[in-house]
Order: sequence, then structure tokens, then C-alpha cells
Amino acid sequence: MVGAFEQVLLALMIFVIMLGMGASLTPRDFYLALKRPYGLAIGVISQYGFMPLIGFLLITVLPLPDAVAVGVLIMSCMPGGTTSNIFTYFSKGNLALSVLMTVTSTIFGVVLIPLLLVVYANALDLEIPRGNIIVTLVLLLVPVALGMGLRKINANVGAVTEFMGSVLALFFIGFLLVSWVPRNWQFLMTTTPATYVAAIALGVFGIAIGYGFARALKLHPRNARTVALETGIQNGPLAIAIIAFTFTGTEAQSYVAVPALYALFIMIVATVVTLIFRRANTAAEQKLPDSLL
Amino acid sequence: MTQAPRPWTAFYGPGVRTDIDTPAYRNLADLIRSVAETYGKAPAFTCCLPNGMNGTLTFQQVDEMSDGLAAYLREVAGLNQGDRVALQMPNGLAFPIAAFGVFKAGCVLVNVNPLYTAQEMARQFEDSKPHALIIVDMFAGKIPAATRGHKIPTVIVSRVAEFLPALPRGIVGLVQKYWDRTVKPVDTPHIRLPAAIDAGRRQVTQGRVEVDAYHQSVRSDDVAVLQYTGGTTGVSKGAMLTHANLIVNMEQTMELIATHVRKGEEVALTALPMYHVFAFTMNLIGFYWLGARNILIPNPRPLVNLKRAFENYKITWMSGVNTLFNGLSNEIWFTDSPPRHLKFASAGGMALQSSVAGRWQEITGKPVLQGYGLTETSPVLTFEPMGKTRAGSIGVPVPSTYVICVDDDGNEVVQGEPGEIAAKGPQVMKGYWQKPEETENTMKNGWFLTGDIGVMEPDGYFRIVDRKKDMVLVSGFNVYPNDVEDVLAAHPGILEVAVIGVPDAAAGEAVKAFIVRADPGLTVEAVRAYCKEHMTAYKVPRRVEFRDTLPKSNIGKILRKDLRAEELAQIAAE
Repeated sequence: MVGAFEQVLLALMIFVIMLGMGASLTPRDFYLALKRPYGLAIGVISQYGFMPLIGFLLITVLPLPDAVAVGVLIMSCMPGGTTSNIFTYFSKGNLALSVLMTVTSTIFGVVLIPLLLVVYANALDLEIPRGNIIVTLVLLLVPVALGMGLRKINANVGAVTEFMGSVLALFFIGFLLVSWVPRNWQFLMTTTPATYVAAIALGVFGIAIGYGFARALKLHPRNARTVALETGIQNGPLAIAIIAFTFTGTEAQSYVAVPALYALFIMIVATVVTLIFRRANTAAEQKLPDSLL
Repeated sequence: MTQAPRPWTAFYGPGVRTDIDTPAYRNLADLIRSVAETYGKAPAFTCCLPNGMNGTLTFQQVDEMSDGLAAYLREVAGLNQGDRVALQMPNGLAFPIAAFGVFKAGCVLVNVNPLYTAQEMARQFEDSKPHALIIVDMFAGKIPAATRGHKIPTVIVSRVAEFLPALPRGIVGLVQKYWDRTVKPVDTPHIRLPAAIDAGRRQVTQGRVEVDAYHQSVRSDDVAVLQYTGGTTGVSKGAMLTHANLIVNMEQTMELIATHVRKGEEVALTALPMYHVFAFTMNLIGFYWLGARNILIPNPRPLVNLKRAFENYKITWMSGVNTLFNGLSNEIWFTDSPPRHLKFASAGGMALQSSVAGRWQEITGKPVLQGYGLTETSPVLTFEPMGKTRAGSIGVPVPSTYVICVDDDGNEVVQGEPGEIAAKGPQVMKGYWQKPEETENTMKNGWFLTGDIGVMEPDGYFRIVDRKKDMVLVSGFNVYPNDVEDVLAAHPGILEVAVIGVPDAAAGEAVKAFIVRADPGLTVEAVRAYCKEHMTAYKVPRRVEFRDTLPKSNIGKILRKDLRAEELAQIAAE
């Protein structure tokens, strides 16, 4: 679907974006998220407890061909990716928690993804591309650490990096949305409504249930928003890589339908959710009288 | 009224001077130069923007750049000693340069609230007749309308990100211009602040002028600042604060905490606007004098704008008002990670609620010391000594300050009885600018009458009970019901109006308007929208109630006190 050059370009963009995200963080943010790992635990439960269940219920309820159903299941068992960190940043969520959740779920994923697929699909024997997992982690942690370092050395360099990173992130989201549709026009036309529903519902329910679960367990709205986005936004590229690793030919093509569709719609869903979260955040801010300029 | 004994000096602590009458410097320009020589290349001011972009000036840079501005004002703009210079700017690196430059030029600074409407600016300009205006570009659009009555020959324009490194400055400029759209091209003929400083510095470096000569003959009892206030009577007027008033008041207050701070080592946070007398004296002059690194926040709203400052700097001292402390105590990023290096916070401007002070102490583990004073007293009259805070009190009078409670005839009341607070000390203003009768009304036998009703406890602590006049205090800013009523009364849909202050959890007090409508279709929203157009936001009535009639005396005067009583009874009933 994407060429090698595009892949490198995307990786480079993600690197710069995460550098910017990192520049918005301090070691203390991570320390605080780890000091009270309650939020992190809720996140992981939500990620690997609810998401696969949602995926399973969707393939049970919807009339989907087997290949598509497998795609839904694989997608629902994925950890969070950098996209969830970016949206958390723009939603004014807890970015440190988001990064930690992504790291935790990605590492746990090595064991949990095959296990979950066995539970829900009975005997699906998937190859987990460890190289891909390592790349995901490196592409996340290295720039974040570098960004934090930049900020520590010089607050202005950090702030400028963050600014550049966030501008690039907006461009990145816009670029993915705009370029996706024409590239996959044929695919969009031939996909069945049930597949659409599955691809969209996975993200929507994931975010909604993640938020509800976190709030029910009394997480602060800021952390609940983080858990919601982290739960609903899956690592799409990892799913595609896993499928490409495990299957070949037309089989891979039909398995990859849901992850591909999901990747498009989660961008739209997450953008809408981010706007809602930002509004909620503004509403919750302490109001100061205008006299305090 | 006699010079009362001062039981409160017992709380000062060991080694604290009980009398500070005369300033340690001839004038503020002298102080600025002398402090800069001591601290030289240490950071003096850091402006920290919401996204963490920042710029820093050292004591030496501040000294040199303010020299440049002083030379510009005197040599190029042609100002003379005693001429007024209006300064209308939010916190930022340009503020100290501008204020210090004015003092060095031997001129008088007029602080103007940047959020003032053109109308409000015009009134202040017509009264103070400034010869020059230093203004931030965001508000420069108001100049033509504001200078219709009094033309200001010299206009110097600055910007929020002034003196930040080029890249952050450029980014902020672009964001303000194209994203926020808060900065528009300035139509009025003007010079940019950096250009003015450069022009002045050329004069200095070429040895053509001697900046010290400008203020050589400025005495400590000469006026340094015209600080506008409605005072206790509601007519806006400029309190003439002398160099001695400001220097002494800063030292009086610093003396009470001297043993808890180290000169040259503190990092102080200035989130309150420095055009306000409290931050002007304590933060601008006080922190500078202390050799502290002063972190300036251009805009503390929303409060999350302070987050990067708290993260990036080891703040040891901050000042604020009740609203600010209360707001921070309710922000998760602050409560999750309270400042670890903070020694204490100081509060002023409005009454600090005990619940807010208590919660702050719980979160940060450090006390809030409350001070009390007025624009006319530079402003600090009383302050809570470190380690001796007392809930609900405003502390004890600062050194060399006499405070008593008097009855309507000016006689001191029996200790423990409420009376109007009267004060005497080296920080009391010289008088109101060109308003001798107003001055006479508030100065009786050498005592300044505050208009606040207070009680002195047996050991010398004071409490504020009530305010004498109708003035409404919204987050430390005086709102005069007359002012607001005048604007509202001009609305064609409004028949009668009365404005009072009502208790408000967030702002201390909120403005409430009682309106008798001429147009039955008039809505609360329409009233508020109209107000927003015609007055500074903090004056806009938070609450509006429509009535069929208003309570009046038998000569037809609207009785605000009856409305207030009704309002308070209703609150009590709830």
C-alpha cells in the first residue's frame, strides 16, 4: 500500500512529531504517572480487556466474511500507537500516561496478542514481527527522550521543537486523511457496509468504553480522556505488518481490509473526539476574572 | 488622634528593624543603577510564555537598555524632568525597561491598565497629560480614539515577545498576527521600543549624554508614579507616589521576610499584572532590589499558562491574589506537581479567604502571607509576619507604620471595636494629582483614611470587617457603581439602574446590576453585551436582575444599601 520511500518519510515525520511531543514533557510527568500506576493499570485492562471483546462482539453481530472478521479481531488486539499520543497531546490529556500506556501495551502485546487471538479465534497462529515491535518502541521512545533532553538543555529549543512538532502533527493528520481516499478509491467502492460498520465501530466503541470505564473508576477526566484515546486508537501499521508477515497474496489483501479502513476512520473519529475533549478541558479550566489580564 | 503605641512590633522577629523612615537610595533611578552594579550578569527578568518560549535579561542589560530609553525620551523625544510617560503594557521584558527608563529620565510614570477601553484611556490621558506613551502593539488600535482629547506627541510601541530570542519572537509574532489575530498594523505614527532604545544608546555610547544627569536633581519626595485609582470616592484620580513612598514601602515589606529570603538567590513568579500597584512595588521593584530572577507571565489566563513557568523554573516565591491561589488549587497539573522550591507566597489586592489559604498550605506545604493596603499607600500597610499567619487577619502594620481605627468624627475607637482604618507612615502618598480637595477628604490630621472598616486585636493584628463606601472590589480591582451605572443608564432600553457588589466565591465580589426596563424586550444577554462594548471586562455586571421598581429615599436617591441588604438576606436564607 505504501512504498519504501513513503514508509521512510512517514517514519521520519513521526520521529519529528514525537520529538516535539517529548519536548512538552518532563521526567516528573513520567514519575507522577508511575508513582500512581492506577491509571496505567486501568489503561492496560481497557486496552486488552475491552478492545478484543468489542472486536469479538462486532464479528459476532455483523455479517462479515471470515477474512474480514479475522482482520477485525487482529485490529482489536493491537496495542496503542504514536497516533494515540498525538491525539492525546492535542486533547490536552496526560501525554506521559499516554506514552507509558503505549509502551506497556506494546511490550505486553508480544505475549498478549497471540494469547488473545487464541482465546477469541481458537487457533489462529500468528507470527508477531518482533522487529516491527522494536521499531515501534524505538520510534516512540528515542525521540521522546531526545525531546525531553532538548527542553532540559534549553527551554526555548524545547518550546520551538514542540511547536514545530505539533504543526507537523497537524499536517501529518491532514495528509493521511487527504491522501488515503484517492489511493484507496477502488477499495472503498468494493467494501461492504458491514465492514465499514466494523471498522468505524471498533474505534468509536473503544473510545467510549475506555472513557466510561476510566471515569467509573474515578480517574480524573484528563486521565480518562487519555485512556479513552489510547484504548480506541490502535496501532494500525502494526496490524498491517502482522498480516503481511503471516499471510500472503489475496488472503492478506482481504485480511488487511479492516485495518486499512480503520486507519482512515480512526483519524476522523479521533479528530472529532479531540475537539470534544478540548472543549471539555476548556470548560473545566479555572476561570479568572478579566482584571487579571 | 495621637501617635498610638505599636504593640505589633513584638511580632516582627529578632533583628527586624521597627523603623524604616528614609529610603536607602536618593530615588528609584539610583536604586536601579546600584542594584545592577551588584548583580551584573545574573538573570534579572525572564518572560515565560504559555508554551515555554522565553527570554531573559540580566541586571546589566536592564540597566543599559533602560539608559538607552531614558536618553531617547530626553534627547530625541525632548521630554523634561517631571514630564509624564504613560505605560500600558502586560508583563514582559519591555515592562521593566520602560518603567526604569522613565525613572532614569527623571520623568513620572503613569501606569495604565492595558485592558482599558479607549474611553477609559482617554479619561486617564486627559487627567495626567502624558508627553509620551509606551504601549503594547495588541492595544495600539485604541490610540486614535483615546488621544482625541489629549494628543500624545511620542508613541513607543512594544510587543509581548519583545527581547525574546529571534526564533521564538518570530513564531509568537506570526501566531499573534495570523492565528490569534490579536496584533494589527499600527496606524498611529510611532517608533518601536528597540529602535528607541538603540537611538538613545547611540547618544550614550558616543559620550554625548550622561543619563545620571537626568535624575541627579530628582529628590526622594518627588513624584515617581501616578497610580490611578477611584480611591474611596469613586472619581478616578492619580495617587502621587513618590520615590521615597515606593522604595520605603518595598523595604518595609521586605524587612518582615528578610530572614527567610536570600538576596541574589530567589526565583520569583510574577503572574499579576505589574501595572497594578501591588505587583509594581513588590514584584517589579522589590524582586529586582532583592536580586531575584523575576519570572514574568504576560497572561495568566487560562491558568495553565503558568504550567511551563512552574516546570521550567525553581520558583521560590510567588505573589498572587485570592482568585489566583484558589484557581491553582483546583488545577490538576498544579495539585499533582506543586512547586517544590517554594518558600512562601504573598497575597494582596483583595481579601484572602481562609479556606483558600488553608488549601494552598495543604497542597504546597507553604503559607500564604497576606498583606493589606491601598493604591494611596504604595500599597502595603500591613503584612503577616512569616510563621505567624492568622486566619482572617491582614497581619500587622509594617515598620514605621501607624494604623488605628477611628469613628466618623475621627476619634480613635475603643480597642476591639470596629472603626475606619486610618494610617500614617512613609508610604502614604503625597496626594492626588491636581485634586487638592479630594486629597483633603482622605487626609485628616496627617492620617490617611482608608474607607475600610477594621478591628484591631489586643496584640496588634488587624482584621477587615467591611468597606465603608459602596465601591466593589472585583479580584483586587476597584469598580465604582457610579461608573457602571452611568454607562448602563445611557442604554435606551434601561429606565433606572442601581449597581452594587455582591459576595462572589471566585472574585471576592461581583458586580450586580438591578435594572428597571424601558424596553420590556431587553434581555440579560443584551445588557451584558452592551456593557462589554463600553467598559473593561471586570466592570461588566456578572449578574443582572430586572425589577419593576428600585428602592429610593424620600428625595429620590436610589438606595444601594437596601438592595445590598436584600441581597445579603437572600444569601443568608440560602
